Amino acid sequence: MINENINVALIGNPNVGKTSVFNQLTGLNQQVGNYPGITVEKKIGFCKLPNNIKANILDLPGTYSLNASSIDENVVIELLLNKNDKLYPDVALVVTDVENLKRNLLLFTQIKDLEIPTILVINMADRMEQKGITLDIPYLEEHLKTKISLVSSRKGFGIAELKKQIITYKTISSEPCLNASVIDPEYFDSLRKAFPSQLLYKLWLVITQDVNFLNLERKEIQSSFTKSHSDLKRLQQKETIKRYQFINDVLKVGLKVDIAIAKDFRSKLDRVLTHKVWGYAIFFAILFIIFQSIFEWSKIPMDFIDSTFANLSSLASKNLPEGVFTSLLSEGIIPGIGGILIFIPQIAFLFLFISILEESGYMSRVVFLMDKIMRKFGLSGKSVVPLISGTACAIPAIMATRNIENWKERLITILVTPFTTCSARLPVYAIIIALVIPDNYVLGFLNLQGLTLMLLYLLGFGMAIFSAYVLNKIMKIKGKTFFVVEMPNYKLPMFKNVAINVIEKTKAFVFGAGKIILAISIILWFLASYGPGKNFNNADTIQRSKVENKGIEESEMSNKIASFKLENSYIGIMGKTIEPVISPLGYDWKIGIAIISSFAAREVFVGTLATIYSVGGSDNEDTIKNKMGAEINPITGKKVFNFASGISLLLFYAFALQCASTLAITKKETNSWKWPVGQLIFMSGFAYVVALIAFQLLK
Amino acid sequence: MQEILAFTALGFAVAFIIKKFFLKKKKKKGSKSCGTDDDCGCH
Repeated sequence: MINENINVALIGNPNVGKTSVFNQLTGLNQQVGNYPGITVEKKIGFCKLPNNIKANILDLPGTYSLNASSIDENVVIELLLNKNDKLYPDVALVVTDVENLKRNLLLFTQIKDLEIPTILVINMADRMEQKGITLDIPYLEEHLKTKISLVSSRKGFGIAELKKQIITYKTISSEPCLNASVIDPEYFDSLRKAFPSQLLYKLWLVITQDVNFLNLERKEIQSSFTKSHSDLKRLQQKETIKRYQFINDVLKVGLKVDIAIAKDFRSKLDRVLTHKVWGYAIFFAILFIIFQSIFEWSKIPMDFIDSTFANLSSLASKNLPEGVFTSLLSEGIIPGIGGILIFIPQIAFLFLFISILEESGYMSRVVFLMDKIMRKFGLSGKSVVPLISGTACAIPAIMATRNIENWKERLITILVTPFTTCSARLPVYAIIIALVIPDNYVLGFLNLQGLTLMLLYLLGFGMAIFSAYVLNKIMKIKGKTFFVVEMPNYKLPMFKNVAINVIEKTKAFVFGAGKIILAISIILWFLASYGPGKNFNNADTIQRSKVENKGIEESEMSNKIASFKLENSYIGIMGKTIEPVISPLGYDWKIGIAIISSFAAREVFVGTLATIYSVGGSDNEDTIKNKMGAEINPITGKKVFNFASGISLLLFYAFALQCASTLAITKKETNSWKWPVGQLIFMSGFAYVVALIAFQLLK
Repeated sequence: MQEILAFTALGFAVAFIIKKFFLKKKKKKGSKSCGTDDDCGCH
């Protein structure tokens, strides 16, 4: 039997459940978000269809029309215009939302004009009864010249029928459903005569879009048929009106909504959640609950992981044969890994809450709310998406700026997004807060530690929009982008989607960061266990011969020797060299080393300290937190992690660009080293000054 | 034996860090993003 391989493109407006249909068809899982811009690149999955047909399913970025104005919309148009592309679709699935059919059909009519066999997938069909919607499918199929598939990607129904329809793609009409050339018959006629072998609507798109499609051909077209920019815009508007007239006429017969059945609970809830006062109050209350819970619920599992690794370390050192590798294992590798695994509960809870907010549809209301604030600071509403995505990681957040059309708005968003508190900062915040902020309650229910964490998140967001305001004033942005945000229906979060998101994010954190932390822990252990010169090699003799050490207990003597060796090790020498720069901030050389190594990834900070303190001390059974809490500065005689130095460190990490990958992605997205270097100097310089002021005021 | 193991681990660690941060990544020919690769490379 011959195996046929076909390309299927999934196209649709943002938030119509396109990615969920993709997941259902391919079995692959990816982030399902409710706010626009989450899908910025094309994604491919594979699907076995009946009759031994294999399909490459291409999940294209969400777009409202084929009038491209951003990079992710260009992806769709470039593919659909280029028949030579190896992914050019044999059949297009235009995914729509049954409740927003009118607006979603605009894109459908444009795709049909490209004469690609197209199936209209009407998603969320399970809500039709509840919303009082009835569809006359035969009528719609006849007038839209297509096949219609009713599906519910959330409940999984209709997917098997959709697969059957895909394999009949050769029988599906590729005829346009309306004649768009009536907007200027004379112009289109001349175009048709000049290029008889070309598809008329494709020519029109090439003329009106600035897309990278067969450059020579475009030049040829433009030389004789280019109209003024305003004329083209006017014609595009006429085209859109013409399409909506057609859609209205078809839906007048094909779609019925019984308003008596459709109880508008959504509108009522929207009025409250996007209210200019209550909207913000509810949002901050939700944030507050999230950060309180992150601390409260994580306590027990974190303590368990911490003590398990301390015991493991002790077990390794007591039971394995004495030697270099055993020391590396018990003082370097185990504490280093423990330093990252301890944060699994907090990371998991953070993403659990974020996923629930996204899945329920609330996140889009937050985007809408924040848009009002953003505009006051001169940013595009579309900047909200990267800034909120930045709570996970700045890298995908910076990539999500691709849907901002205006270059300067995009650049400002790229530059300020790293201020948003990413998940990599969470371990640093969590351990410092636990050390310097008392676990007390204010007014009986406000946990100080949770409150501090929430303030740090707000500080990051506040600093991002303040910097945007300053940059906006300096860079003088001209022209604004308009912002369309889809308000999806409220729905109960799907357990499967939430679970997958939490597992994937936690896995990415553990395995991504874990590998770097493990490697750095090993290198640090060597740097801390070996040293040049007599001081390191003769540490034992030097310490025992000191007058002040005469008569002290052997355990104390061991600590003094270990500490002296550490100070004279390679890492100790490096740390002491940079100490003058960081001591005004309240940090000792060990913290300095942790700051430098955490430039690879912020989470490395905790792992580094765990390794350094393990090498420098003799008690392997103690937990990382206890070791850090007990550390005394030999010069001041005070605890290293006190309130002043702790706040200084928190502020330093809130503002500093401690992430090599962020620099790399900024360089990639701006195509210049000028912006990432400027970003690094400003953010790190600002962080240093703020941390310095904080320590000097609080000490 | 312990020293061999420890220094081998060090070699792997140094090689990994150099590869991760100092060498440019080569894109695999024909590699396709399936949408499941969630590693943003920042960790």
